[in-house]
Amino acid sequence: MSVQYTPVIWNRNKIFYDAVLLIAVVLYLYIYIRVAPGFEDVTKPIDGAILRMRAFGSCAFLMLTVILCIGPLARLDRRFLPLLYNRRHFGVMTAGIAAVHANYVLTWYYNFSPTDKYVALLSSNTNYGQILGFPFETLGIVALLILFVLAATSHDFWLSFLGAPIWKALHMFIYAAYACVVLHVALGALQGAGDPIFTSVVAASVVLVSGLHFATGRMEARRDRGEETAKASLQEKGWLVAGELDEIDDDCAKVVTLSDDERVAIFKYDGKLSAITNACAHQNGPLGEGKVLWGCITCPWHGYQYNLSDGRAPAPFTEKISTYRLKLIGSTILLDPNALPPGTHVDPVEIGEAA
Amino acid sequence: MSWRQTKDAPFYVGYLNAVPKQLVMFLVVFAVCFAGGLGIAALALSSTQNDPGNGGFQWGNRFENVGILELRPYPVLRVPADGETPARTYMLAGQGKRGAFSQAEKNQDGPVTLRGVPVNRGDLTMIQVGRVEAVEGGAPDFTPAGPEPLGRWKLTGEICDGKCYAGAMRPGRGLAHKACADLCLTGGIPPVFVSSGPVENRNFFLMADQDGNLIGDEIKPLLALYVELEGDVERLDDLMVFKVDLAKARILK
Repeated sequence: MSVQYTPVIWNRNKIFYDAVLLIAVVLYLYIYIRVAPGFEDVTKPIDGAILRMRAFGSCAFLMLTVILCIGPLARLDRRFLPLLYNRRHFGVMTAGIAAVHANYVLTWYYNFSPTDKYVALLSSNTNYGQILGFPFETLGIVALLILFVLAATSHDFWLSFLGAPIWKALHMFIYAAYACVVLHVALGALQGAGDPIFTSVVAASVVLVSGLHFATGRMEARRDRGEETAKASLQEKGWLVAGELDEIDDDCAKVVTLSDDERVAIFKYDGKLSAITNACAHQNGPLGEGKVLWGCITCPWHGYQYNLSDGRAPAPFTEKISTYRLKLIGSTILLDPNALPPGTHVDPVEIGEAA
Repeated sequence: MSWRQTKDAPFYVGYLNAVPKQLVMFLVVFAVCFAGGLGIAALALSSTQNDPGNGGFQWGNRFENVGILELRPYPVLRVPADGETPARTYMLAGQGKRGAFSQAEKNQDGPVTLRGVPVNRGDLTMIQVGRVEAVEGGAPDFTPAGPEPLGRWKLTGEICDGKCYAGAMRPGRGLAHKACADLCLTGGIPPVFVSSGPVENRNFFLMADQDGNLIGDEIKPLLALYVELEGDVERLDDLMVFKVDLAKARILK
């Protein structure tokens, strides 16, 4: 939306979002480091450096879990959509917390030695051929590097510079980072003496993240099956049956699946119909789950807007998305499945005239 | 709520300050649950950590003794009996992850006064060497006893670096500590075998190879694992030495 890469403008929602994040993280660390040790059943208090290292490490792990749950939660229930809006701040903060964890590890376990601590980190244990005693630190390093790259490229400048497909593909590496973190924990901390609480938390995280993604995948697949009528049915040569008028609420859309990677959002507004691609040019957000606000299609993820008739972002912005031609026969909506070049003007179908 | 958008459903646009009223309560409840959940997780995770044991630096009990420095094959200080206190043999380490080879090699011909800080866990004591000075004005009348053979043993347990496990970095054992133990041993800290079963009531053994020499890099793949080792055990005053044949080592888990 902002082609001039102007600095991120703070507003009340962003401040509130970040404030909640900060409060939660500070609360976690304070309780972990200051309050909970009073309830420990140990012979001698756990060393401060180790306690802080564990606090920051576990905090980053839990934050990453929540980050990965936000996506599917917002798909399953749109009340979670506001959590998506500022999720990049969540990610950057997680990378920072993970970096503090790594720093404690470096300055404690790999310090005080004739060997440089960075050299020691990579050379102390090289038993990559065994599961027990695998250098789990390497997995943590990989995860941290991914988190850094994602944090560094999180700004919209990089999104625009790299283009949405590359940026999106790059940021999908968050799943690789999560897998590395789970293995990092499983091959390291969990291999020690039994710790049922930590083991349960890690297992719950994996079940939650996988379960939510599985549920969302099933929902999407079911939805696609339901909408795939358009793919097979030929009402008139070259036109697909996209559905009935009464399936769409005013200022809302119906999403029609053409293929695995092509969906069309058909919007109903002011007694008219217009069709555009379902993918927002910003981060591929599902435009069809957005609404028409101030005469523009508004993405549910970050509020990016497009004109209904030509798929162009309102001036001075220049994003463009593909449009599609529509026809109405009675109350049945027909769709031309051939996408028009992004920004192509298509006259909206007047419902009154055709119906 | 379903994925399908409706006219009446609240719609959030992040760059607008106004949040639909129906969402405000939901988001407030989520924020409270999120922060509260993290707080509860912190309490649960932190308060139930495994006991790292009572090992640690004995800063208030500084060590100063006269004795003989020997390489067996790692540096040890042999301290003569004093009244009812029997002779003792202390394992030595340098500052940080460093051994005490240079001090031991420099002073192994005569008696020394050794100052340092004990690092202690139960029967395991290691001295972090601070200063070593040759005793002037003649050697005390002290000849350390020779090692007492205790036979051949097959023991199960874990190879740790003696200093961290003694308390420099508690718990100082386990797979999470493997890389650190490797680094410590590279720096010259003596390896210690922590046996799951005692020999003459002792569970900690200074390790040497089967000929009583320094162990090489072949020990590294075995660090921090639960292993079975076979070798001769001998007693050096109060210190047990395990002369292991690493070729016969078996990883149990």
